[in-house]
Amino acid sequence: MIPGSRIVVLPLAAITLCQPAQAMSYLSVEQAQQLMFGSRPLTPLPLALNATEIGAIERDSGVKVYAGSLRAWKADDGYFFTDAVIGKHDLINYAVALSADGKVRQVEILEYREAYGGEVRNAGWRAQFVGRHHGDPLQIGQDIQNISGATLSCQHVTDGIRRLLSTYAIAIAKR
Amino acid sequence: MLSPLPSASRAPPRAPYSYRDEVCRARPLLGTVVEIRAASSNAQPSLHAVVDAAFAAIERVQRLMSYHVPDSDLSVINRTAAGTEQRVDAATYAVIESALRIAALSEGAFDPCVGERLERWGYLPASAATADARREFAGRWQDVELLGQCRVRFSRPLLLDLGGIAKGYAVDRAVQTLQAAGVEEICVNAGGDLRVAGARARTIRLRHPLAPDLSAATLTLQDSALATSAAYYSRRRLPFGEVSALLDPRSSRPYVDGGCVSVRAADCMSADALTKVVLFAAPQLAERTLAACGAQAFVQSPAVDPARPEAAGVTAGASPRSGTQNARQIIANSARGNAAPGILNR
Repeated sequence: MIPGSRIVVLPLAAITLCQPAQAMSYLSVEQAQQLMFGSRPLTPLPLALNATEIGAIERDSGVKVYAGSLRAWKADDGYFFTDAVIGKHDLINYAVALSADGKVRQVEILEYREAYGGEVRNAGWRAQFVGRHHGDPLQIGQDIQNISGATLSCQHVTDGIRRLLSTYAIAIAKR
Repeated sequence: MLSPLPSASRAPPRAPYSYRDEVCRARPLLGTVVEIRAASSNAQPSLHAVVDAAFAAIERVQRLMSYHVPDSDLSVINRTAAGTEQRVDAATYAVIESALRIAALSEGAFDPCVGERLERWGYLPASAATADARREFAGRWQDVELLGQCRVRFSRPLLLDLGGIAKGYAVDRAVQTLQAAGVEEICVNAGGDLRVAGARARTIRLRHPLAPDLSAATLTLQDSALATSAAYYSRRRLPFGEVSALLDPRSSRPYVDGGCVSVRAADCMSADALTKVVLFAAPQLAERTLAACGAQAFVQSPAVDPARPEAAGVTAGASPRSGTQNARQIIANSARGNAAPGILNR
């Protein structure tokens, strides 16, 4: 490499040294409630959706409803929800605060777990990388928290919030 | 011979950093998950409130510059600025100005005028403008006129897309918001485009281009930004061939190979735009553009031995012999010798 070059070709590090799928916990449900509603009381709101409501929510939002994924609480000035969506690469739990008139006030990710299936989990495929080393050893457990890479889409969170708003309109606001 | 990486050669020392408050939160923004980590002993009124303000700064950039928001500054000028001057927000103006600077430096290897083509490939929503099949949007970066005082005009119809640069700008604004509030340690990561600030050096893992759920190399960042571009999440097959969200603005060809490019720069906006320059410009041009921006690029390519890059058809970026070979070709050449062809070109 010519000195002063600004383009460096990096080796692919040994996959054995790589950390697999990342999991991040940002907030607990209680922390999110505290962040969004302070100390104001929240009352659990039972959401036993009947088949008619589920059908209406799915038609309205274009997103499939899974039983039990959505939990709701009522505050004096709004609603608090937790829900989860599963994407191609990840599983995301999130919390949403709605104002009393059903407008989104805040969205926070609670947990984020990456998953990636298929061939990369195959031991034989991985074995080809064994023994390749990079001069910059990865020390697991040290202050390594951030990952750079091509941007992962969060489209399914957007879909999930649309489903949540449909649920609010069909099963909560009307009741 | 590859010299050791300037700042990636040693893991950061463990220091007894201690702050009264530490916050790590994430929200779905900019089409991805944006994570903010902040540590401080004196944030006012509270660290959570300052992080709220940083997220609000990102939301503002999204409202102004999103292609998906019909009344964003960007959507408005795409509909109305051809031949007619339009006023935009100072932030929008600043991002367009930076985009055009990097477009000029890179001779169009980065060009924000790719909206129509990305619409056609399904990476951007069809705008009302393109529904009229009689209209053409052939304008390029040279056709965007900046008239001062936040006024913009297009000399030909075109569809500006700031998707390749505004995410970095949003990260920068969030970092500035946190800094202005006295937060000492900051990391803002918008789904892979990130910036860190503070005394602490942070180790950043780069996704493995063949196994993006795993990390390959690591780099150390301190008071700087890193952005990465690769096709592994956006590649898809259309009836006429394979496409990705990465488009060579001059040839209109998608980047669908298995490598990836990371750029480190002082600010995330430059890093974001420069990844595309390294993918699509000839190396000497990319080197010049990187130098003009004080940036450095890291190419991860399957099956390249960095000690003998020429063995895989790779000559180091600045080699005169490789004057017409860009990172795309470097990566493509090296991929041919890869032991796992099934993973590539998919």
